[in-house]
Parts: sequence; C-alpha cells; structure tokens
Amino acid sequence: MKLKQEFIAYDTEGLSMLVPTGSAGFAGLVQGNRTLGVILSLLQAETTEAEVVAAMLARFDAPEDVIAKDVRRVIDALRGVGALDE
Amino acid sequence: MKETYRFAETVVAVDALYPAVHAYCSAYRCAGTPALTVQITQADIDAERRKSADEDRAEGRPVRTFADDYLETLAVYRKIAEWMPLRGTVLLHGSAVAMDGEAYLFTAKSGTGKSTHAAFWQAAFGSRAIMINDDKPLLRIAPDGVTVFGTPWDGKHRRSSNCAAPLHALCILERAAETQVVPITASQAMPLLLQQVYRPADQAALAATLRLLDRLTQTVPLYRMGCNLAPSAAVIAYEAMKG
Repeated sequence: MKLKQEFIAYDTEGLSMLVPTGSAGFAGLVQGNRTLGVILSLLQAETTEAEVVAAMLARFDAPEDVIAKDVRRVIDALRGVGALDE
Repeated sequence: MKETYRFAETVVAVDALYPAVHAYCSAYRCAGTPALTVQITQADIDAERRKSADEDRAEGRPVRTFADDYLETLAVYRKIAEWMPLRGTVLLHGSAVAMDGEAYLFTAKSGTGKSTHAAFWQAAFGSRAIMINDDKPLLRIAPDGVTVFGTPWDGKHRRSSNCAAPLHALCILERAAETQVVPITASQAMPLLLQQVYRPADQAALAATLRLLDRLTQTVPLYRMGCNLAPSAAVIAYEAMKG
C-alpha cells in the first residue's frame, strides 16, 4: 500500500496533517501528532502494515502491541478517506 | 469572446462562452499581454454543476440549480486559482478590509459572520475602512510581505474594490458570547486556513500552496476572535490587532 498522489503530508510545529488536493474525493483534513507524520512519511513508498510497524518500532521506544495498535488506527483512518492505493 | 483582465497584478485573458463573466469582471479589464489564458468549455461548466451538486448533497441540503453563465464565472476563477500558487499567490476564502491602507483579513467557517463583521468596520470607521473583497480575495505571499488583492469574486453582496493593500493581520472568527481577540500560533491557525484556502487539484500547485501558507503564518500576525456579532466588535478587533 502507498499514499495516493492526491494527498500531501504536511507538518508544522508538531502538528501533522494529510491534505487532499482539490481532485481527491475527500475534502477534509486528517490531523494528528508526530506518530501520524512518521506513518505518512513511511507511506510515501510502497509498503505493508507489518513494515510500517517494524519501522516505527525501530524509531520509537514503545511496546510492539501499542505501536501496532497506533499503526492500525492510522491506516484505518487513511483507508476510510480513500487516501491509500492498495 | 475574449477579454483581458488584471488580477493580483497578473494579466489574464478570459475566453468565455457567455458574456456574463465579462460583465462580472468588467472593473478589472486592462490591456496587455496575458501571462495566463483561461479558455472555458461546456465540460468546465458541467464540472462546476457536478461539484456544486456534490457539495449540496454532502451538506444535506437540496441540490440547487444554476445557469450556465453563472457556473462559467466559477469555472474561470477555478482555473485562475489553480494556476496562481506556482506564481506565489493563493485564493483564501474570507473578508478583507483595508483600514488606513493596511489590510485585515477575517476568515471562518461559512455562516460564522465574516461579512457581517467586516461590514461593522465600514460602519464604525467610515471612509477609513475600504472593503477589498468580501469573499474570495487573492493573496500574494512574497518573502517581503503579503499583499491582499480585490477580485470580482466577492460574495453574494458584491462588496469589493479593485485595489490592493499589505496584510497587517489575519484573524480567525468564531462565534462567542463576548468579543475577545487573542494571538494564536501557526499550528493553531493552520487547520482552518487549510480548509479556507483554495486547494488545487494539481499536486505541485497544492504543495506550493502549503509552502505559501507556511510563509504567511510565519510573517503575518495571527489572531482568533470570539465574536458575538455586535457592531462594537469592529472597534475591539481593530484596537487588538493594529499593533
């Protein structure tokens, strides 16, 4: 899976957002903290949920089940707004 | 039929199917070599109709019907707004008032009272306050400052002037029981600004829009105003933001 071209990841002052172009089917914003920003950066290239979890584990000092739950939540949200090519 | 206009110091040729758009833009007519030529087809008008219907459905209201010549005015501005970000200019939904030659821009979700509040400035300050644009001004965001430009796309009350002014402050309006103005940070302003700015369909143009908003929020003082839509709010807002 990969972030669709119709969406751009944007970060400012600790706030991460997914911003759709005017041609995306979704007109809102997805907002979150640094975790969202990192996951969005990992989704710039083709990857899998397991690879995203592994990359997050390497970067953050947190239990695997917590990270896996965060990743699942973000991916579900992105899937819900049609932001993923799968 | 083709006419040439100047919008935000850019000469734009508009080749339209209907005369209405030329009447709409008449105050901006100029001579010169266009940097952009906008040519409208029936497909552009049909796309505006679909977009409008989609928005009505998304907001749960009956689908409104519009004439082709009105939809063409929207199609023209959409093409201009798509092209502008890669040249340093964005369309921001809001009301811009020039006070003693400096612009104050109010933006908010639809229905909050931007136009009502902006009209209070004219009532409170008379000829010192000039309405630059009551709906969709253009903002040129340069390294040395932000300039607000009037455009013909000025809302249902048709309040605008073919003029420009440096942006002194940007204010996000919210309804509140009492009027209060507080400074806010870029990250506090950005979510709403991203909803109110024109988001191009083209990815590169959207990326440019985000860079320009970054520059805007780093260079212009930002405020949030709780507002009860009392006429006195104009004086309170000006005193808080004039610096």
